[in-house]
Amino acid sequence: MTDLATIEAFLYREASFLDRPDLDSWIELYTDDAYYWIPATEDQVDPINHVSHIYDDRVMMEIRRRNFIHPRAASKDSPTRCSHLIGNIRVIEESTEGTLIIESNQHVVVWYQDEQRLYAFTAQHALSPDNGSFKIKSKRVDLINPEAAQKSLVIYL
Amino acid sequence: MQQIPDRNFDALVTPTKLHRSLYTDPEIFELEMSRIWGQAWIFIGHESQVPKAGDYFTTHINHQIPVVMIRGKDDVVRVLHNRCGHKGAKVVEKRSGNVRGALRCAYHGWSYRFDGSLLKVPNEQGYTDTGFDAADPCYSMQPLAQVASYRGFVFATLSNTIVDLVSWMGGAIACFDNLCDRAPEGEVEVAGGVLRYEHDCNWKFILENLNDTMHPMVVHESLVKAAESYIATLPPEAAEQRREAEIIPPFGASYENFENSGITGFDYGHHYDGGKTSIHADYSVDPDYHAAMVSAYGETRTREIYAFNTHNVLYYPSLTIKCAVQNIRVIRPISVDRFVVESWSFRLKGAPDSMLERTVLYSRLINSAMGMVGPDDLEVYRRAQKGLQSPANEWVEFHRQYGKDQVFADRIEGGGTSDLDMRTQYRAWKGYMEQSQQRGANND
Repeated sequence: MTDLATIEAFLYREASFLDRPDLDSWIELYTDDAYYWIPATEDQVDPINHVSHIYDDRVMMEIRRRNFIHPRAASKDSPTRCSHLIGNIRVIEESTEGTLIIESNQHVVVWYQDEQRLYAFTAQHALSPDNGSFKIKSKRVDLINPEAAQKSLVIYL
Repeated sequence: MQQIPDRNFDALVTPTKLHRSLYTDPEIFELEMSRIWGQAWIFIGHESQVPKAGDYFTTHINHQIPVVMIRGKDDVVRVLHNRCGHKGAKVVEKRSGNVRGALRCAYHGWSYRFDGSLLKVPNEQGYTDTGFDAADPCYSMQPLAQVASYRGFVFATLSNTIVDLVSWMGGAIACFDNLCDRAPEGEVEVAGGVLRYEHDCNWKFILENLNDTMHPMVVHESLVKAAESYIATLPPEAAEQRREAEIIPPFGASYENFENSGITGFDYGHHYDGGKTSIHADYSVDPDYHAAMVSAYGETRTREIYAFNTHNVLYYPSLTIKCAVQNIRVIRPISVDRFVVESWSFRLKGAPDSMLERTVLYSRLINSAMGMVGPDDLEVYRRAQKGLQSPANEWVEFHRQYGKDQVFADRIEGGGTSDLDMRTQYRAWKGYMEQSQQRGANND
């Protein structure tokens, strides 16, 4: 059994990169075949035939990372800073090879375009062991309000 | 009609300039809601959203008035005011679903048939000899003044006097035909869910942006550069498999490319860019899709259908469609500086799944609030909303290629980088606002 404190420390580390945000360091936490998903509906099972707010594989994550710091990306002129608060961490599944499915509740306050916004969601991470720590194989962000009209968001949650 | 003093619209809209108050004045917004959104045909939904009797979909027809689209037991799709005939409570609260038996108000239990007629009032004897007449239509859930659908797309209007839907669409109707004809079975259906995007600026900015081909290479430069530079580092096989590599780079197409795509305008403010070519024209064609199309239409007709390649089509003021991507965006104003866009995707009946996959991919890349194109567009609208608070210059200009539009009987055509789209929209805007019959293309 993986120690919960190790898992916590890893989730906090990911959050700290997003809080700054430091997408260059953040993206290195992900495997090459990873994907990052924010579904557009409750209990969404299909990211291909149903729209999502975000469904990025590593290639799209790399493009977004480059776009995020591009000097002519007008939507990124506004500072973007976040504060992740993570709780209710639970191990959903642990394989004999040490692959983990972790769920956590996260409240993220985002400062963007002169206002503070609150996002609340269940995060599901699929983690694989990597040199005493983990790499993220996938991250799913289930917002409590995926069907709501969303405002522009230019950072990963 | 709202009791708002009339304005001299000639002083607000000229052939090449608009007064900034069109974007900032709450009174003008209220007038727009009653005179434009209260008269034009407004897109409500698609019949495939309500396939069975009792299936419903709720929305607003302007910034406030709640309506429900519901299929009757007679298979007719109606649009009703979503208001109880008793004390006025909104009857159907959920966004979509199915009603069994009857629509029932949550307040006093008045119930209605799917056609909106009053079915039952609880404890009805209390109304005996009071003058109340349950058969009076004012106690039903009332239908909109006019409702019509074209190839499954349902529109309604609050006006008794606006021309019929087909006349109102004019030549722009060809784009609905093209969207549906792209299905081997000639029909489309809603699929793949909806994205809702809140915009904190005036609703007209997004309409003005649809055929504004002078902005993509500026606003979307960062995305195109980021995508191209990273995709260039991928092995060629990997890059070829990326559909994003077809979708994103055309946003950086040159002025010359966009100029060649042309813009076509119609009466009532409708217009599209493209036709002969567009930024969607070079998408690859799935061989299975092509085979299904040729089998349905034959080679010549199939090529004709592909060849009519538009970019954004506007049915002023509430709907914009992308025929080549099978995607629509529905506009709903909220206030002078706020509106919501809903993006819906369509399945081409008889086409392989890959077509819907591309539609969905397109929508999440381009139309999502967390996408890679929409936030940059919204950012520049927001800046216009803020900048227009300045009295330094009372006007917004749109002179590009003024005087060079080619006027035909039912349409105007011009260069793809012209402001023909603005001229088309604001002729209609002024016509609606003045409540004149002159909403047309050729009424200068």
